[in-house]
Amino acid sequence: MNLARRFFGFVLQERRGASGMPANPKPGRSLVSARLLPVLLSALSALSWADLAIVGGRVYTLESPEPLEGATILVANGRIEAVGADLPAPFAYRRIDATGKIVTPGLIESYSHLGLREIDLEASTDDAALLEYPLGPAFDVSYALNPASARVAVSRMEGVTRALAFPVAGVDPLAGLAAAVRLGGEFLLAPQAALVGYLDAAATDLVGGSRAAALQRLSTAFADAARFSPSRYRPGPGDYSRQDMAALKRFLSSGKPLVLAVDRAAEIRRAIDLAADYDLPLVILGGAEAWRVREALADAAAALVVRVHDNLPRSFDALGARLDNAALLHEAGVSLVFTGAGTHSAASLRQTAGNAVAHGLPWHSALAGLTRRAAEIWGMEDVGLIRPGAHADLVIWSGDPLEVTTWAEQVVIGGELMPMSSRQTQLYERYRDPSKPYGYR
Amino acid sequence: MSLAAGLFIAEAAFAAAPHESTYAPRPAPATLIQGVAVLTGAGERLERADVLMQGGRIAALAAGGGLDRQPEAPPVRVIDGAGKWLTPGIIDVHSHLGVYPSPEVASTADGNELTDPNSAGVWAEHSVWPQDPQFGLALAGGVTSLHILPGSGNLFGGRGVTLKNVPSRTMQGMKFPGAPQSLKMACGENPKRIYGEKERAPSTRMGNVAGYRAAWAAAAAYRDKQRKFKAGEADEEPERDLALDTLATVLDGEILVQIHCYRADEMAVMLDIAREFGYAVTAFHHAVESYKIADLLAEAGVCSAMWSDWWGFKLEAFDAIPQNVALVDAAGACAIVHSDSAEGIQRLNQEAAKAMAAGRRMGMSISDAQAIAWITSKAAKALGIAEETGSIEEGKAADLVLWDRHPFSVYAHAEKVWVDGHLLYDRQDPTRQPVSDFDLGQTVAGEGR
Repeated sequence: MNLARRFFGFVLQERRGASGMPANPKPGRSLVSARLLPVLLSALSALSWADLAIVGGRVYTLESPEPLEGATILVANGRIEAVGADLPAPFAYRRIDATGKIVTPGLIESYSHLGLREIDLEASTDDAALLEYPLGPAFDVSYALNPASARVAVSRMEGVTRALAFPVAGVDPLAGLAAAVRLGGEFLLAPQAALVGYLDAAATDLVGGSRAAALQRLSTAFADAARFSPSRYRPGPGDYSRQDMAALKRFLSSGKPLVLAVDRAAEIRRAIDLAADYDLPLVILGGAEAWRVREALADAAAALVVRVHDNLPRSFDALGARLDNAALLHEAGVSLVFTGAGTHSAASLRQTAGNAVAHGLPWHSALAGLTRRAAEIWGMEDVGLIRPGAHADLVIWSGDPLEVTTWAEQVVIGGELMPMSSRQTQLYERYRDPSKPYGYR
Repeated sequence: MSLAAGLFIAEAAFAAAPHESTYAPRPAPATLIQGVAVLTGAGERLERADVLMQGGRIAALAAGGGLDRQPEAPPVRVIDGAGKWLTPGIIDVHSHLGVYPSPEVASTADGNELTDPNSAGVWAEHSVWPQDPQFGLALAGGVTSLHILPGSGNLFGGRGVTLKNVPSRTMQGMKFPGAPQSLKMACGENPKRIYGEKERAPSTRMGNVAGYRAAWAAAAAYRDKQRKFKAGEADEEPERDLALDTLATVLDGEILVQIHCYRADEMAVMLDIAREFGYAVTAFHHAVESYKIADLLAEAGVCSAMWSDWWGFKLEAFDAIPQNVALVDAAGACAIVHSDSAEGIQRLNQEAAKAMAAGRRMGMSISDAQAIAWITSKAAKALGIAEETGSIEEGKAADLVLWDRHPFSVYAHAEKVWVDGHLLYDRQDPTRQPVSDFDLGQTVAGEGR
């Protein structure tokens, strides 16, 4: 959002208004999915169902920092069957030559609005923000996920195979429940994969304008939810609904992470305390000043979705923002995962990890943050690493996946070769040769 | 020219004409970089070259090396460039640093005069806050010159200004001497949305176009009256109007027209309007659909300033493709990579690299020497400063960046940045890393951002 917000800040301010109330009601939103359905169907048709032998690549298994050189990966029934340097490739397997290439697990974008927001500034295509209907923590975005989004193929072209789709704060700092999605096959992996709360200045405005009130609202809600009983609960004005409290209670015992978007060091400490009180796994989203409280984060076993490029003192919550935030947190022992710079930022996901490396994060830790570490934090089993039994979500890269001059040559999801095309490649094909007659496929 | 003489002339000019630059080059000791790989910005890649800076200019460039220390005083500082890369200072043609500074709060949001769709009378330079900490961060990314534009909420946003990226107490101390101003115009969604929501014109794209044309017609009439008065053909001088002043100066060819325009079909309309009223469009900015009319843009001689891969954040950006820059360049049109972002401006080298890689991914042949021009010489051309900077050629200003590895690597750092031969930034030396007033007390010395 940051990128667009720099430029369209006035638009966003107008949309939310000073009181946090929306300027526009949302029109119907079924139109887009209906129109894009044919695109989806053609894009998702798998090229091959055969078992695969990916041969000759430098394979980063994520089991150890050292790659396997010239290794073979055997894929059957959607899973990795075997991986090793001297594996023979069975005759029946479709052979994919990865000589001179790098093979990694598919990338996981740890914070996105994939499937929820097609075009940021078209409210009718945006289901990430709840602008009117009074639903707080019970707001479950999985109901709105649109697998036909043009963004799915574009992100997949950049090696993204899984993502977390998050709601944003619209009417309440406790914005709702995120979903885990996969960019091939069945889109929805897991609803209610995390609960997210926003404690930045804009979200604080939703509860009267003080960070204290936002934090009190959260801690009171958690305390009430812990002893919530539907028959005895009598919400007053401004209290969470019965539905919200039920969702919150379910969440508290789910073992799923509490994600808190917070930048200032002081509020990060409050976030650590809140999660500790309810024994919740804590993930800090953003955390521009997290490096200032890195020991406390490490002690709390908290993880961080790092916005690597966010080194601007863009708000008074982020005066300590710096490019080596990731490196400092890693040194202190905090787990790091990544998000791109904005809503339509698939290409920048790898780039942000690369820039974290440029500013001191070890290369293999950056790759882990895009793969294995993310899978662990978001509760995806047998994902993000290349070993027998793991899901066969793989990318064959033209070179170092963190480099800006590298691209994904082939993406595999659930053992299937994904089409390496998108609406963008179709536009490219239409316009690359101006001598072709215009206007026909 | 001595520094003292330079200052004298600058001050004399300031006294003569308000709003003039007071920029004065800093001391520029002779510096020789030896054995460095060079992307000249003028289309060449040299493997082991020597580059000599003297008096703030590029005094000599020897492709095969062999430039010796100059015997005459002052002594030459010698830098071993082995394994390193030298490029021209990076130029961003589309920035809002200083007018949308950090921290980004209501009291600093000075980039968009959203009170009238025609705010041609405002000048972005009068909103520039020289203490914006973002300037120093852009410098660490190798940016030596940048064009600050008003926002895109209005049909006519106002005048843009080209700055040298130097620490300064005043905006005037950053103004690029002799650089023309620009007129910022905006197509498409933004103006019609902003004013449509206020229930006034324009609320449609046709309303946008009527707005441009009405203003240009008024400007032509205003200019005519001024001419007649000056020629003694009219008794009364037309009443001074700042907006019409700007547009009339465009018609005189002294201000460059920079248009925020996403869609190809709208660009074609904007070119028609320019023909109708007799001015030239210098560049379309955020031109995500330039690839659709690259031939028309090449023919019209109009530059496109583009992102590498931003897309889809608004409907008029839905057809953006990562090969846009490569396709525009391949058609022989002027291709520029811009940032429009305080984050992106810190790594325009990576944005150019992504645009190059996107073309190569599709089998297009693009060299690094070609791609570096997208953020150097082509950018200089679109700002009217190409005679002065934007390429490594003898006689040009010594605006240079020494990279610790190929600048198109994500791991590359700008190690040293010179502006007019003065070492303004050194990654190895915390005392050569500018810190804005705002950052004092917020960051720790030597740690930076």
